[in-house]
Amino acid sequence: MIKFSDVVKTYQEKQVVNKLNLTVASGEFFVLVGPSGSGKTTILKMINRLIEQSAGEILIDDINVNQVDTAKLRKNIGYVLQNIALFPNLTISQNAGILLEAQGVKRDKRETLVNQLLDRVGLPHEQYGSRMPSELSGGEQQRVGIVRALITKPDIILMDEPFSALDPLSRKQLQDLILDLYDELKPTILFVTHDMHEALRLGTRIGVLVNGHLEQVGSPNKIISEPANKTVSSLFDNQRVTLVSDMQSAGLLHPLHSQYPEQTPQLSATQTIQELAMVLREVDQVVIDQQYVVTADDVLQYIGQQ
Amino acid sequence: MLNDLMNLFTAQSTDILVALREHVLLSVAAIFIAAVIAVPLAIALMKHRRAGEVVLQIAGVIQTIPSLAVLGVLIPFVGIGTVPAIIALVLYAIMPIFQNTYAGLTEIDPNLTEATDAFGFSWPFKLFKIQLPLAMPMILSGLRIATVMVIGTATLAALIGGGGLGTFIMIGIQTNDNAQLLLGAILSALLALIFSWGIKLIGKLSLKKMGILLASLVALGGVYFGGQAIVQPRGTITIAGKLGGEPEILINLYKELIEADNPRLDVKLKPNFGGTTFIYKALKGGDVDVYPEFTGTVLQTLVKGEHVSHQPKQAFDDAKRAIKEQDNLSYLAPMKYQNTYALAVRQADAKKYHLKTTSDLAKMSPQLTAGFDHDFYELKDSYPGMKKAYQLQFNKVTSMSSSLRYKALVNKQIDVTDAYTTDPQLKQYKLVTLKDDKQYFPPFQGAPLVRKAILTKYPSVKKSLARLDGKITNQDMIDMNYQVTVQHKQADKVAHQYLVKHHLLK
Repeated sequence: MIKFSDVVKTYQEKQVVNKLNLTVASGEFFVLVGPSGSGKTTILKMINRLIEQSAGEILIDDINVNQVDTAKLRKNIGYVLQNIALFPNLTISQNAGILLEAQGVKRDKRETLVNQLLDRVGLPHEQYGSRMPSELSGGEQQRVGIVRALITKPDIILMDEPFSALDPLSRKQLQDLILDLYDELKPTILFVTHDMHEALRLGTRIGVLVNGHLEQVGSPNKIISEPANKTVSSLFDNQRVTLVSDMQSAGLLHPLHSQYPEQTPQLSATQTIQELAMVLREVDQVVIDQQYVVTADDVLQYIGQQ
Repeated sequence: MLNDLMNLFTAQSTDILVALREHVLLSVAAIFIAAVIAVPLAIALMKHRRAGEVVLQIAGVIQTIPSLAVLGVLIPFVGIGTVPAIIALVLYAIMPIFQNTYAGLTEIDPNLTEATDAFGFSWPFKLFKIQLPLAMPMILSGLRIATVMVIGTATLAALIGGGGLGTFIMIGIQTNDNAQLLLGAILSALLALIFSWGIKLIGKLSLKKMGILLASLVALGGVYFGGQAIVQPRGTITIAGKLGGEPEILINLYKELIEADNPRLDVKLKPNFGGTTFIYKALKGGDVDVYPEFTGTVLQTLVKGEHVSHQPKQAFDDAKRAIKEQDNLSYLAPMKYQNTYALAVRQADAKKYHLKTTSDLAKMSPQLTAGFDHDFYELKDSYPGMKKAYQLQFNKVTSMSSSLRYKALVNKQIDVTDAYTTDPQLKQYKLVTLKDDKQYFPPFQGAPLVRKAILTKYPSVKKSLARLDGKITNQDMIDMNYQVTVQHKQADKVAHQYLVKHHLLK
């Protein structure tokens, strides 16, 4: 359990986090969402003390983080960065296992754990283990970033806009992956994003942050159906128009009749139409939820109708 | 030129190897010490940017001081030889190594730094696993820059008796022997290339292997220097000589004579030890015990306010007395030859016109063309004074670079030039020097200048050196210089032959 009580952060007399009171329960997938500059990354980094709060208390399982040695505190908190930040001098295997190495885990044991987890995230270790980070795509690199954070089985995982630099297709795949891993391991995840749609897809609970102030906390359904105020509803209004499922309602998705080529990209109906358009720039057709098929013409037709 | 170079290379291969070894040791020691200072300093300062900038400034300023000035400043504190040379080189090498290490460490992607912080790594883990490997390409390029610079600058070590390849360059400049100069320059350039390439190779190793390599290098160096320190016998005398072939022959003569009389005394030679002021300081400081010096130089340069007699005997006595009074040094009995200015002509002309003395030449001068070295032509106590004293009236007088004047004389572009009376070129080009019959030039007679303490401690040294009293004629010296400088024979062999031939060994 992570508990913020009256937490304030000011930079040069400017308040970026305004009297934050929030409790994240153990085993929750909590998403902090808000436009850039809303203070969400600052809140995340105060948990592992990369940033120190100006006032208030942060408790992890009733222990004040300021009273724990930072090294000890951070060992139990996984961290995934927006810029991925794999160490360019180390191989994929070495990167994936570096936290175990820092904790003095023996090489054999390290290798077993790393290989298992690399295989699990879709990077077969025989094929990827000895490569260097620069030889991997952004999506593949962030899979390694996730492995690196998960390898020590931390109770808490902090994810700072981890997918925002990726292309829509990789983003979707990694969102699926992190949901799978969450179901499997049930850690406490604190996930920061500015993408409302991503927040709705991932969070068991969502906190909406605007200008350092927490506007609403609730389940995705509640936030959509009962926005606390105009600010929140306007943020999520934008979302509605652009979902792929809207095309489905308009009858523009064609049911899938035959087999489709293996490489055909797959998206979900809960993704945005912008993401679909990005993917369709590269390929002729996209499969939606393994039920429908859609082409660029269909998207243009939909936009024309609106 | 290429032939000269090849001859030199084969004739002096032992000397070349010794110089190479000295040069490598000097450079490696300097780079190693500089790295041991600069890398940890950069690591310590990477989190203190302001202090880091200050150190960068200081190192930059040190680098702008000319290396010769650094050497000069250091001599009173650490004496001469290898130590000040290494200190000066270290001062130069610190800047590029520090600068690159500091830049390499501080310019690491802040995201990576954030990651290492967020993962709670201990500082040694962070440093050795992430920061140093990431900065390594920069550190190595700093090492390469420093190495190339140090190997180049180490040629200056020859000036202060540090040895190395600079010896060839100094001799080359002093004796106008381009082959020697090129030899030193080419070898040091090659050495720089090889080292730079070697460091590039080391860059491909992992941090662990680099550590092993470094440790074995240190162990090897320790064994080498430790062994040398143990082997060093007691009872040594250090004899140094200025740059050039002639002093090297003389000190080899001294060594053989002293060791023949006193087998338990070990004579250490430091040939090509530098210029007058420098070697004299070394003698006063006790780094050097004996070196051969000319009477004229003692009177004109080393002691103050002394009238220079043109009578050789008087000049020697004055010099001996003055230098004892001033610095308590013993000036032992001089050899016969004089190494001074004289006018030189072709042997054929000397015969044809019956030229023996400068006065003979004066009579013939209206028919002759002269070409002089720039200095000789211009300095008041050289040609201008001589012209007046002898009433020289040459048909035409030109000034030319000293390296060209002998060839101009041989090719009959000129008929008279200036020469030192023991120049080997006199023999090489069949030239004759004319006697300075009016004793216009002060006498330059060679004699050993010795520290008093050495004579008290080893009285036999005086007797041994006295065997050369009145020996070695100008012709003898020209012959020996010819063998060493032109034919590139070993100075110790030439010296030995002379001693045997003249029955000076017991």
